[in-house]
Amino acid sequence: MMEKEIIDEIKKKFGVEGFMQRERRVIVKIAPDKLVELCKFIKDLGFEHLSSLSITDWPKRGIYEHTYHVWSYKDKILITIKTEINGDKPEIDSVYPVWGESAQIHEREMHELFGVEYKGNPDLSPLFLEGWHEKPPFRKDFDWREYVRKNFYDKENDRERVYFEEV
Amino acid sequence: MAVQLIWIGDKMKTEVIPKIIRNMFSKPITTRFPHESNPIPDGYRGEHRFNIDKCISCGLCSKICPNRAIEMVEAPGEYRDKYPKKYPKIDLGKCCFCALCQDICPSGAMKLTKNFFLSTFDPSDVIKDPTPTKEENT
Amino acid sequence: MKPESVGKNEYELFFGPAHPGSGNFSVRLKIDGERVVSARADPGYLHRGFEKLMEYRLPIQNAVLSDRICVLEALAWNLIHAEAVEELIGVEVPERAKYIRVIMAELSRIQSHLIWYGVLSIGTGFDTGFKLAFGYRDFILDLFELITGGRVYPAGYICPGGVRRDLPDSAKERIPKVLDKIEKMIDFVKAENPANIGRLRDVGVLKLEDAIRLGATGPVIRASGLRTDVRKDEPYEVYDRFDFEVPVRKEGDAYARFQICLEEMEQSVKIIHQALKGLPDGDFIDKRFSKLKLNMRMPEGEVYVRNEVARGEAGVYMVSDGGTKPYRVKIRGPSFLHLIPVLEFLLRDVQIADVPAIYWSLNGCPADMDR
Repeated sequence: MMEKEIIDEIKKKFGVEGFMQRERRVIVKIAPDKLVELCKFIKDLGFEHLSSLSITDWPKRGIYEHTYHVWSYKDKILITIKTEINGDKPEIDSVYPVWGESAQIHEREMHELFGVEYKGNPDLSPLFLEGWHEKPPFRKDFDWREYVRKNFYDKENDRERVYFEEV
Repeated sequence: MAVQLIWIGDKMKTEVIPKIIRNMFSKPITTRFPHESNPIPDGYRGEHRFNIDKCISCGLCSKICPNRAIEMVEAPGEYRDKYPKKYPKIDLGKCCFCALCQDICPSGAMKLTKNFFLSTFDPSDVIKDPTPTKEENT
Repeated sequence: MKPESVGKNEYELFFGPAHPGSGNFSVRLKIDGERVVSARADPGYLHRGFEKLMEYRLPIQNAVLSDRICVLEALAWNLIHAEAVEELIGVEVPERAKYIRVIMAELSRIQSHLIWYGVLSIGTGFDTGFKLAFGYRDFILDLFELITGGRVYPAGYICPGGVRRDLPDSAKERIPKVLDKIEKMIDFVKAENPANIGRLRDVGVLKLEDAIRLGATGPVIRASGLRTDVRKDEPYEVYDRFDFEVPVRKEGDAYARFQICLEEMEQSVKIIHQALKGLPDGDFIDKRFSKLKLNMRMPEGEVYVRNEVARGEAGVYMVSDGGTKPYRVKIRGPSFLHLIPVLEFLLRDVQIADVPAIYWSLNGCPADMDR
């Protein structure tokens, strides 16, 4: 199928208009409560490889934006699905029922680094960090310079004094 | 049993013995390191050499370094009258030898040489202050 | 899938991070006698936080940082980062630079597969294979020293806009001689070795529907029967002008992956010969990037780039909000999927002696799993 046919099929069933960014790239934005339904629909169209899953947080707008990149081996097209959830209480449905373990491991990493709850994911235990008691580290409001200066650097040392000055 | 012996004898004649004879007459591939060494090509990224007469104190090398290994300081004690501006001090422990400071220097004062014998027992060798060197022929 | 216990004599074994057979990655095995009941991966020993580090550096500084994502194939990661920045800014790379980039990426793939062959041999007991592989790899490292200035870390040789230095003239004569030596070595090693067949045949079988569900890519899924390669599905740089094949097998066991390793090296040698013959003259970097600048802005937008590195499919997702530094970078490494879901799935109900053969035949790099 070509990119235009996929955009038309999604518009017929869900009413959202995707757009074609360039050859082989289609972007679709949807509300978070219809996310799992859209994912099941495009999996039946042949999009069976979940390439990556990512979160971007925009503190000025107060949202967390999720991005799902899905590739089809048959048609050779990549669809990007984007949703936005509220920043105060971040939780969303998991896509584990649709794509299996490859979705589960990506969500486990995002839960640890950004602090988003995934409802329906069987295993959300910590992956990389051990004994971490502070905020999730990849958020924009985590001050990593303070953390590093308090725990690792010593102001008296001549070679490390550079790190206490402003950039 | 006899068939296996004939097969081994055949292999020795056609493959093993010619290889042994060829290896007796070819050059050894080992380089005996402290007495002779492999040639190092041009463009190798080794230790820095800084020419203080060409420096214009723009500070670009300090801004582009990805690890903040270069800091602009005043020249040490006795050279301060002849060289009043600020010059780069390099900390070799933080440097990753990427040559971005060589590419951005507008006057060609910072260059990387072919020297890689940098290990030392004395920690003060690691920091290079901006002093003029004895032979200036660049 | 939850593991189940078989009997009361179980104990737990750490196939740990300081083990000579496992790199910087640890697996916890639950063992009953000589059979492994279940496994649990324990990653995180090499987590350096690249995605956060890249938000505070300029694109040219990120090019120097990107060759440490996985050291064993540094030039391939340089290439994917440069492609992401170029697509965001909207710049077209000159023809000579594209050919040089393809030559360096394929040399990096040959060098990485030689490490895979050497380490798989020593894991199953064939020490001579390890010595042959690392000896021949040294010729390629000497070529890297001539062209980029360093043997292992090329320091952002493939930067956004082109390449940092031109190809020297002596390189064009030395590259075919090195490739002849490597072709002779592959011919010698391809012969059927009863030791390899005994240890690798029917070990770690991965069927096609499991492979797609668990997220395997690259040589692992090609050994299970699916003909796919990013260089043929969505060609990047100038791969659509070259004539090469993609080896595929149907059995899905460790011996099939081992055969694909050797055949891919032959196809890479073919690509480099074609690229050297068609190398054009011209600039090696775009005019806007030839002098380093500290204040080049990237327009707003986002981009997702996929490449085929030696271990599978790599992806970089980059978002920019109009400043000089990227706003968010997400790096998708192939080993993240191979070493956690696929390994836990394959290490159920096998013998302990098969564990190195399965682990090394997946060709996982702990550095690109943790980033």
